[in-house]
Amino acid sequence: MISISQLEFSYSPSASPVLKGIDLDIPENALLGLLGPNGAGKTTLLSILAGLIPCPAGRVFINGEDLSTTTGRAAAGLSLVPQEYAFYQPLTVHENLTFFAGVQGVPAWEIDERVRKAVVQTGLEERLGSRAGKLSGGLKRRLNLAIGLLSQPRLLLLDEPTVGIDPHSRHFILETIRQLRDQGTTVIYTSHYMEEVEDLCDRVAIMDHGRVLRYGTLTELMAEAPQTARRREFSLESLFLELTTRGLRD
Amino acid sequence: MGIMAALIRKELLLLARDPHGLLLLFVMPAVFVLIMTFALQNQYAMSQEVELDFYLLNEDGGGLSSAFARQLAAASPLSRVETEADWQKMQVLAQADEVKFLVRVKPGFDDLLKDRKPAVEVLLAPGTSPVFASVAEARVAELLNRLYLRYRLASLPGVQSNLDAQASDLVETRSLYDNSGEFPSSVQQNVPAWLLFAMFFIAVPLSTTLINERQQGTLLRLRSMGIGPVRLLAGKVIPFFIVNLLQVVFLFLIGLYLVPAMGGDQLTLGENPEGLVLVSVAASLAAVCYALLVAQIASTIEQATIVSGVLNIIMAALGGVMVPRFLMPEAMQEIGNYSPMSWGLDGFFDILLRNGTVTDVLPEVAALLGFAVLMLCLAVWRYRRAAY
Repeated sequence: MISISQLEFSYSPSASPVLKGIDLDIPENALLGLLGPNGAGKTTLLSILAGLIPCPAGRVFINGEDLSTTTGRAAAGLSLVPQEYAFYQPLTVHENLTFFAGVQGVPAWEIDERVRKAVVQTGLEERLGSRAGKLSGGLKRRLNLAIGLLSQPRLLLLDEPTVGIDPHSRHFILETIRQLRDQGTTVIYTSHYMEEVEDLCDRVAIMDHGRVLRYGTLTELMAEAPQTARRREFSLESLFLELTTRGLRD
Repeated sequence: MGIMAALIRKELLLLARDPHGLLLLFVMPAVFVLIMTFALQNQYAMSQEVELDFYLLNEDGGGLSSAFARQLAAASPLSRVETEADWQKMQVLAQADEVKFLVRVKPGFDDLLKDRKPAVEVLLAPGTSPVFASVAEARVAELLNRLYLRYRLASLPGVQSNLDAQASDLVETRSLYDNSGEFPSSVQQNVPAWLLFAMFFIAVPLSTTLINERQQGTLLRLRSMGIGPVRLLAGKVIPFFIVNLLQVVFLFLIGLYLVPAMGGDQLTLGENPEGLVLVSVAASLAAVCYALLVAQIASTIEQATIVSGVLNIIMAALGGVMVPRFLMPEAMQEIGNYSPMSWGLDGFFDILLRNGTVTDVLPEVAALLGFAVLMLCLAVWRYRRAAY
C-alpha cells in the first residue's frame, strides 16, 4: 500500500532536516499508529503522504503511485483529516459536507448519497442543519472525520482525531475508525494517547527527531523493547518514554 | 456541482453569514454617499444654492453708504442677517460661525470712496473657506467700484444706468458637462467616489476568510484535495468580483433613485454608460487582486483589517474620494495620481462628469488592470512561498 524509503526532508536548505532516512512499508488494510513527541516529524510525514509537501530526497509510493511525480496533489484514494477543525464554522454541517464533496469533484447526482453515507458513519444525522461553529467539540471532530470520508478513501490519514473531546465521542470515533479498517480502508493515525493506540492499532511506528525509532506490531515492538521497558509490565507508554527519553519537549 | 461552482457558492454563503462584512461593503458606502452628496451639494451648485450670511455695521449712515448696504444685501449669493449687536459682539458671533463674514462701513464713507481708500472693513469668520472668502471680497469690491464709477460718471446718466448690468448680463457661462447647460451635481462625484472606497474594502472580508482558512486548517485540507493555488485564488476572485458588481449596481441605484427621492440631484449616467461597465470591471479586478495580496501578507485577521483599512483610507484620501482632487494643491494632485482609486475615479468621471466615451476611459482601465495583474502575481508568489 505505502512504501517509503530513505525519505529526507527539511523546510529550507539551511535548516536541519525534519525527516531523516525514513523507511516504512505499510500494508493494505493496516491501522497504523504513528507516535512521537511534539516536533518528531509526524505531521510533516503525513503532509508528504498527503501531497502537501514535495519529497525531494527518498521515494514514496502509494498504491504504486510515485509521489515524486504527483507533487501538489494527493495520491488517488487518499484523504487527510487535519488536527484542526478544518471546516467552515459559519456554514451548516450539510453545507460543509456538500461543499467539500463538490470541491473533490463528486458528481452532482452523487453528492447527496455521499453526504448521507458520511453522516451515517459519523452519527451526524440529527445535526445536518446545525451551524458547524455551534457544535460541541465531539461533534466537530465527527464532522472533521465525516468530511474526510466523503471521497470514500482507501487510505485515511488522521492527525490526532480525538484531541480534546469527551469519552463518549472519543469512543464513537475510535469505533468508526475500526469499522473503516474492517471495511478495507488503510488508516494512519497520529495520537498522543498511548492506550488509545495500543487498543486500536495493529501496527505502531514510534518517531523522534525525524527518525523512525521502532516500527512493527505491538508483539514485535515488545520483543524489540529495551530490557528496562521489558522488565516492567509492558505498556506502549513505557516503551515510548524509554525510546524518546523522558525530557520535556515543549 | 463543479469545483469552481462549489468554491464560489461557499464564498458567497460565508459573506451572507457575515453581517459585519455586509455592513462594510453595502451599508457604509450607501451612508457615505447620502451624507457627502447632501453635504457637498452646494459646492457644485453655488450660484443657486449657497447663501453667504453676513452682518453689516454702518458707522457712516449717509445716503451713499446706505445704498451700498442695501445693494450688498441684494448681491447674490450674499445674505445680510439683521442684528442689534455692536461690532465687538458681531465679531464674537462670527468667531462662533454664526455668519461667514462681517462688513463694517467706516465713518466718512463717501470721502474714502472718492479718495480710493478703504471705506469698508471685511472680517472673515474662521470657518469661512477661501473660496467663499474670495466671493465675498469680490462682491464687496465690485459694489464699491460700481459706486465709485457712478460718482465719477455722474454727469453721464446713460452710462450710469449701464453700470447696473449684472455678471449674467455681460458674460455667457455654461458647463461643458452636457448640452442642457446644467452643471454636474455632487451626486456625480460622490457615488463613484464612495463606490470605489467600498470596492477596495472587500480586502477585509476576503482576507478574513482566507486567514481563517489558513489558521483553521481548511486551506491545508483543500490543498490535500488537489485544489491548487490558481483554482483557490480564482475561487476568491470570482465571488468577490460578483460582490463588487453588486456594489456598483446598489450604489448607482441609490444615486439614481434614493438621492432624488430625498431631495437631492439625480445621478445621470452620461451619454456612454457602457464606459461605466468597463471601469467597474477593471476597478473590481484591481480591488480583488489587491485584497488577495493583503490576505497573503497579513498573518492574522487583526493585521489584515488594520493594514487594509489604513491603506484604503490613504488611497482614498490621495485619490480624491474624501476631498475632490480639484480642491487639492497641484503637488497633492500629483501624488494622488499614484492611487488606484484616483484611476478608477478619473475613469468614472470621464463618463459621469466629462461625458467621455469608452475610448476616453481606456488609459484608466489599462492602469487598473496593470495594477490588478501586479497584485495577483505578488499574491500567487506569496501563496506559493508560504505553502511549503
